[in-house]
Amino acid sequence: MQSMMRASPAAVALGQTMQKRPVTSNAEDPAQILVKQRLNRPVSPHLTIYRPQIGWIGSSLHRISGVALSGSLYLWATAYLASPALGWHLESASMVAAMGALPLAAKVFLKATLALPFTYHSFNGLRHLMWDLGRGLSNNVIIKSGWTVVGLSVTSALALAFL
Amino acid sequence: MASLRTTARLFAASRPLFRPASFARSYATVEAKSVDPVPSDNPNMKTFKVYRWNPDTPTEKPTMQSYQLDLNKTGPMMLDALIRIKNELDPTLTFRRSCREGICGSCAMNIDGVNTLACLCRIPTDTAKESRIYPLPHTYVVKDLVPDLTLFYKQYKSIKPYLQRDTPTADGLENRQSPADRKKLDGLYECILCACCSTSCPSYWWNSEEYLGPAILLQSYRWLVDSRDEKTAERKAALDNSMSVYRCHTILNCTRTCPKGLNPGRAIAETKKILAA
Amino acid sequence: MASFARPSLLRQTLATTRSPLLRQNVGVSQVVAFHASARKQILPPLPQSIEGTMNDPVPVPSPHPMEGSYHWTFERAVCVGLIPLSIAPFAAGSLNPVMDAILCSLLVAHSHIGFQAAIIDYFRPQRVPKFYSLCNWLLRAFTLTTAVGLYEFETNDVGVTEALRRIWNA
Repeated sequence: MQSMMRASPAAVALGQTMQKRPVTSNAEDPAQILVKQRLNRPVSPHLTIYRPQIGWIGSSLHRISGVALSGSLYLWATAYLASPALGWHLESASMVAAMGALPLAAKVFLKATLALPFTYHSFNGLRHLMWDLGRGLSNNVIIKSGWTVVGLSVTSALALAFL
Repeated sequence: MASLRTTARLFAASRPLFRPASFARSYATVEAKSVDPVPSDNPNMKTFKVYRWNPDTPTEKPTMQSYQLDLNKTGPMMLDALIRIKNELDPTLTFRRSCREGICGSCAMNIDGVNTLACLCRIPTDTAKESRIYPLPHTYVVKDLVPDLTLFYKQYKSIKPYLQRDTPTADGLENRQSPADRKKLDGLYECILCACCSTSCPSYWWNSEEYLGPAILLQSYRWLVDSRDEKTAERKAALDNSMSVYRCHTILNCTRTCPKGLNPGRAIAETKKILAA
Repeated sequence: MASFARPSLLRQTLATTRSPLLRQNVGVSQVVAFHASARKQILPPLPQSIEGTMNDPVPVPSPHPMEGSYHWTFERAVCVGLIPLSIAPFAAGSLNPVMDAILCSLLVAHSHIGFQAAIIDYFRPQRVPKFYSLCNWLLRAFTLTTAVGLYEFETNDVGVTEALRRIWNA
């Protein structure tokens, strides 16, 4: 801009203010141009834009339910091991007593929240074992079995909760 | 301007009257070309939201840009819409395309949340809903809808996708196989390596550096089951580690999304069975 | 003054209007910032880097069946074993301590393998080396305490299946 401000109209007319790009071939290693470009590239969106489908949503629920179940087993067993030192009461008798003291609605709710991940993970696990045998891998079977697992796990979890 | 257009339209409408019928029919394309570049009389406008990112301004965040097209004047496929946007609305929009018939795999992208080939994907006729177009998920973006597939091709090369055989046939002619053996390759050889399945796989999203992904594993299985190939043991050994195959957790997005109707999920399941045997 | 200011003024106005003009092309109604990449990225990968040239294949890892095919077969065997062991005690009401012990050890193995798979999936050492090793050590420690805790529960208390049955019926 500064150079253009100073230029006379004659110079502008003769094209003396035209932009020039001096060739500097030795300034940069040409092999590094692409490498530098790559560092700037964004990652295209993935989990947030993929259409919710029973396949991958069900699969993520399988992992989430598994981590929740195993996580509670790990935490409870470790707490049980540490309970004498910490003075907690996690032996079966006190847990049964604590459960018995709860109102019915809380009992059903607690049982359902425990049972649903278990039933879902179990039924979906059977589906996984079927796939590992190389069966049920066509698109319509995948979709149908996915919804079947959802239905079965919810009903059986409710049945277990009211047991 | 308005009067000019109406007279032009009147003239266009009256033209066939002065022409023999055969003449008018043979020059039908000329009529179509002279149509004014504005929406047709009864426009059916649909909004397309397209992912944009320009490598020349790398500090700017990717954006979603809206375009509106009259579906009455657009071809039936998503690729038609993209080409029209590029030709008539915004020449800076960048995407790959070549064959427009689902055999080259260039126009693989994420359309309305699923990976597919733009040339095989019909534009949803529901104009109330906008269509969203993204590059293939979890890829490094070169520009707009163009992903960098360098790693994908390097992984393809690593599985040695060619016949490996040392012993010549008894009669010195070509390597033959039984119809039953040939049948095993059906559903595998049709893969066009468009990367739709690999980039739909969450495991490949998180571990694309080491996990080979569905497309490459389908190709790998294609050579594992080829009765003419003699390096089956080496091929198996190359896959027998924690990353190459076993990051597959049978999510099966690959099978769901394959625009060619193939089944990479089954190929990986069969690969696991072969490796375990 | 006016004569030499004109071209620069023209250029200035061109420069300021060029980008909006381009963007407000015919039929282009708006540009919105892309929200998903802006704030929080899910497991953000490292900036792209390609090892070797485009024509080099990616390195093939050396075979390791203990982490590959044997591991997979073992995992399936544990899963298959868990099916009867988790149904039988509640269906038949058996309080066999041997069955209970097998169930517990299979549960621990299944959990350990599952956690391990999750760590490998989401926390690659190339991306988060310290967090990866921290997770692995935490997992080993917790698996050990869980195994010992379950052993204590089996030997000093009523056993897992019986305790669960009693809690459920409380």
